[in-house]
Amino acid sequence: MANYMLLAPELVLTLVALAIMLAGLFFGPNNKNILGYVAGVGLFAALCLTIGGLTVNETLFYGTMTIDALSQFFKIVFISVSLLVTIASIKYTEGNKNADEFFTLLLFSTIGMMVVASANDLITLFVGFELASLSTYALAGFEKNNPKSMEAALKYFIIGSLSSALMLFGISFVYGMTGTTSIPGIAENAGALASSPIGLIAVVMLIAGFGFKMALVPFHMWAPDTYQGAPTVISALLAAGSKKMGFVAAFRVFVVALALLSPNWQTAFAILAVITMTLGNVVAISQTSVKRMLAYSSVAQAGYIAIAFAVMTPMALTGGVLYTLSHAFMKTGAFLVVAVVGYMVVSDNKNAKDIDHLDNFKGLAKRMPLTAFAMMVFVFALSGIPPTAGYMSKFILFSSTIESGLVWLAVIAILNSALSLYYYARIVKYMYFLPASGGKISEPKPYAVAIILALAGVLIIGIWPEPFVYWAMEAAKVLMV
Amino acid sequence: MAIEDFAFLIPLLPALAFVVTFFFGKKMYSGGALIPIGAIALSCIISILITINLLQNPEEVVHQSIHWFAILNLGILIDPLAAVMLSMVTFVSLLIHIYALGYMSHDPGKARYFAETALFTAAMLGVILSDNILQLFICWELVGLCSYLLIGFWYQKPSAAAAAKKAFLTTRVGDVMFLTGIIVLFSGIFKIYNGNLPEGVYVLQFSEMFNLIPQLSAMHTTILGFEVSQLTIITLLFFGGAVGKSGQFPLHVWLPDAMEGPTTVSALIHAATMVTAGVYLVARTFPMFMGAPDALIVVAYVGGFTALFASTMGIVMNDIKRVLAFSTISQLGYMMLGLGMGAVVGMEAVGVSMFHLINHAFFKALLFLCAGSVIHSVGTQDMRQMGGVGKIMPITFITMLVASLALAGFGIPGTSIGTSGFFSKDAIIETTYLFAEHTGNYIPYIFGIVAALLTSTYIFRLLFMTFTGKPRTNYGGHESPSVMTVPLSILAVFALIFGVLTQTKFYHFLEVTFENSFVHVNIEHLAELGNYDLVHNPGHEPLFILWLPVIVGVAGLVISYLIYYKKVVDMSTIVSRNNPVYKLLYNRYYQHQIFIELIALKITYGLSLIGEFIDRKIIDGIIDGISDGTIAIGETIRKVQTGVVQSYATAVIAGVGLLIILLKLIVEVQ
Repeated sequence: MANYMLLAPELVLTLVALAIMLAGLFFGPNNKNILGYVAGVGLFAALCLTIGGLTVNETLFYGTMTIDALSQFFKIVFISVSLLVTIASIKYTEGNKNADEFFTLLLFSTIGMMVVASANDLITLFVGFELASLSTYALAGFEKNNPKSMEAALKYFIIGSLSSALMLFGISFVYGMTGTTSIPGIAENAGALASSPIGLIAVVMLIAGFGFKMALVPFHMWAPDTYQGAPTVISALLAAGSKKMGFVAAFRVFVVALALLSPNWQTAFAILAVITMTLGNVVAISQTSVKRMLAYSSVAQAGYIAIAFAVMTPMALTGGVLYTLSHAFMKTGAFLVVAVVGYMVVSDNKNAKDIDHLDNFKGLAKRMPLTAFAMMVFVFALSGIPPTAGYMSKFILFSSTIESGLVWLAVIAILNSALSLYYYARIVKYMYFLPASGGKISEPKPYAVAIILALAGVLIIGIWPEPFVYWAMEAAKVLMV
Repeated sequence: MAIEDFAFLIPLLPALAFVVTFFFGKKMYSGGALIPIGAIALSCIISILITINLLQNPEEVVHQSIHWFAILNLGILIDPLAAVMLSMVTFVSLLIHIYALGYMSHDPGKARYFAETALFTAAMLGVILSDNILQLFICWELVGLCSYLLIGFWYQKPSAAAAAKKAFLTTRVGDVMFLTGIIVLFSGIFKIYNGNLPEGVYVLQFSEMFNLIPQLSAMHTTILGFEVSQLTIITLLFFGGAVGKSGQFPLHVWLPDAMEGPTTVSALIHAATMVTAGVYLVARTFPMFMGAPDALIVVAYVGGFTALFASTMGIVMNDIKRVLAFSTISQLGYMMLGLGMGAVVGMEAVGVSMFHLINHAFFKALLFLCAGSVIHSVGTQDMRQMGGVGKIMPITFITMLVASLALAGFGIPGTSIGTSGFFSKDAIIETTYLFAEHTGNYIPYIFGIVAALLTSTYIFRLLFMTFTGKPRTNYGGHESPSVMTVPLSILAVFALIFGVLTQTKFYHFLEVTFENSFVHVNIEHLAELGNYDLVHNPGHEPLFILWLPVIVGVAGLVISYLIYYKKVVDMSTIVSRNNPVYKLLYNRYYQHQIFIELIALKITYGLSLIGEFIDRKIIDGIIDGISDGTIAIGETIRKVQTGVVQSYATAVIAGVGLLIILLKLIVEVQ
């Protein structure tokens, strides 16, 4: 008898999501955002339940789902990001008559990501993937009257469908050659796949499918447009949460199921990592929209994390896993800051255009000192400056690269980090050294709370990394069996 | 709960007081001064209670430690050495804070002042309490930062800003050496363990460092043809740090200029915090010095020379605070000299030196606060414009007299009558005599005796010029308020009787600093390592040697009396621009000129001009080229992002195709 209590976080979230959908019928448009508190409480409960089950190691439903250190780690990443986004969205959805749908979709996408984290079977994994994707397609187009938002959703949807097709294609090859969709089963029967050219095609197809979510070059092209066009809180969800779904899926499928084919995909990831981080950083330099710049920065960060696949030592995997956690906090935080600045610009001038333009960050330190300080920490964390979470993760990841002899990869990664400092530091310059164009403004409370939580996450992991490194190590151990 | 459990509060309370005062002090009574005063008073009570406990059972040191990361920890260690320092620092700092209530009452920035002095005290307490060298270094740097802030407290004054910069940069030279020492130490430890540092052992803790002394001393490196043990290098580098902080020759130049801060800050720097940190560092790591007698000799010579060198300059200064500044440098030299005698007297050197440090803290704080009291009332620091101040400020005069007697070391040898300075300074000079007898090297002893003569001369010169005779200018002075005179009186009592009360107990207490439940150092073994013999039962020195320090002290008094009170010699014949000795002393041996005009302006500036040229033309050119290129590439690539979704889909499919072909090629090649 399977212990269904292990799925309590998912079940709680499902119930809360359904409850919100129903309750939405009874609320007027002016106070629907109250449902955000319900979603927040649900997510918090799910977080506590997940943390409570940190040390579990069991499989469910005839081995199609697994609860282990890795799944719990990523679930916590997903829930944390959703929680931060939910808190901030309480302000964003103020007065919106579709707020109930917003929070329902947000919770469903979270559940989808959590299913992927636990998936021990390719079909389960695909279902979770689609649940999360479909919910986020709708969320990206949440601003129905904003053509940019619609464009973002449509592009996201088209490329997403294409990638899903490629992923299914890859899965079908794997199933055809091994006769099973179970991840441990594939690992046992991968011999035939490894010796056939079909194995290579299957690997590339799967990389394309997951690479779409991770935003690896050249599967990244939807990302800048979508991140820029979507509501900023949703950009945070996409960049910090849904992107990690690609990584956890890839960890399970490549490192565990297709371990025998590692010569193929290690090379592929090495190439993609280099191209991705370099292109992301170089193009980010010439952006004037902060949102778009963060989108490219997010692409570049995916390149760093992909190093974990190319190196594939326990230390590299630890670094990669830890990086996803750090990135969740710093990227969410950075996007939420952009959201607050957008709010500030709109409250200055109702018809403002280009609300995410870099010029709006001028003198932010005078107008919103807390937000400016938080943004400074976030961008420094993204570029890897101590004592932040970003530094610690990069340190482990890059040193694992050197340790396993791939010095060239480490050099490229470090040069990229140096390059990225250019555009990150530019934001700090705008915030702290250029004159402000307006008076002091106090941040809306939900935004401020979410930003402070993200800031705390970034700083705590940076200053006291030991428990987190240990935890990431435990998660990485699951992969190395 | 035992009082030891609250030990962590000792540095924490002043640190919290800093935060509160810094942010909210402006709205509170007297700039929030009462918060640091209360916090330091509590720290003082805890320190003294712990010291009393420790006095009964010196083996049971307080040691608490928490894991930080990897092989590093954060911890506090209170052994006899730390305990006496803690009690002294908190107590003197408390009195200075109370005094500052009066002294700073008219200053608009007093909230900032009290916040910074609280942080200063907290940082110094951190230095004392650290149980590992890295944490000590962190607090050490914090002390440096606070000194910068406080010396430049009146930053609107260009001279204060310059003095702050000078203090910061000069001590930085020492700090770099200290840090290098830590790095050399760590790399040595790393080598000892062959790169496999043991789990759960904090190698930078003092106990671990001391355990590794034999291995460190066995490691040798060749520098300029000399074979030097790793231990000697490490200890010399640590001493380099101490030279910077404790104002030893040649890094003493910042101390006289540090007078630009408020006088209370000078008192804090010179008596309780900052300058004693260097002496404390050497005492704290003393077992390492014991294993490296070459380093000990350097400590002795630098200390002795500084004692003499600084006192010669003290004689000719006209600024009352500058005289005291040179006096501090000179007395710190004595302390170093005392430590340098470790190769003969063993751990007693720590006892002797620390005893002088504590006594010096009392009488030097007193001297500065008296000087502050005079300056507060008279409105000038130039002694040539004073004279006869004793009549209008009797309390200040008496307390200053007591402090001067203590500094000059007045007392009767062989009895227990004497000022505190008498017991400690004589102990150091006697130790140097023992050293001379034992090794045949009389130089440290001569340094000590001549400096004692000069010390007495300059301090009584100050006393006669300031307090006696007739006023030389019209100043309307008055005695200071009781918030200032009460601390003066308390300090005066300590300067007078602390030595008598504690003398023998003090040595015995400190001698066991390195033999307890946390640290255990075998001194005989260290002496073997260093290849020297310790003197165990020194006989009594000849009567003449016992009396000589007092005799030269009285001689100094007589000289000053004759010249500055009776005016037997017309000073104007000596004090003239034509007298080369006077000119040399008054210009402080032209050190300023050498440091600023030659080293700073000509050599360093010249080098930086060359560096700037290379940087600007060559390096910047390359960097700019790369960055311009990168930006241009970025501009080009961003055009690929057309915004047309069809092309995105094409990219995905093309990417899949290319990746397959590429992998096929690579895998086949492999």
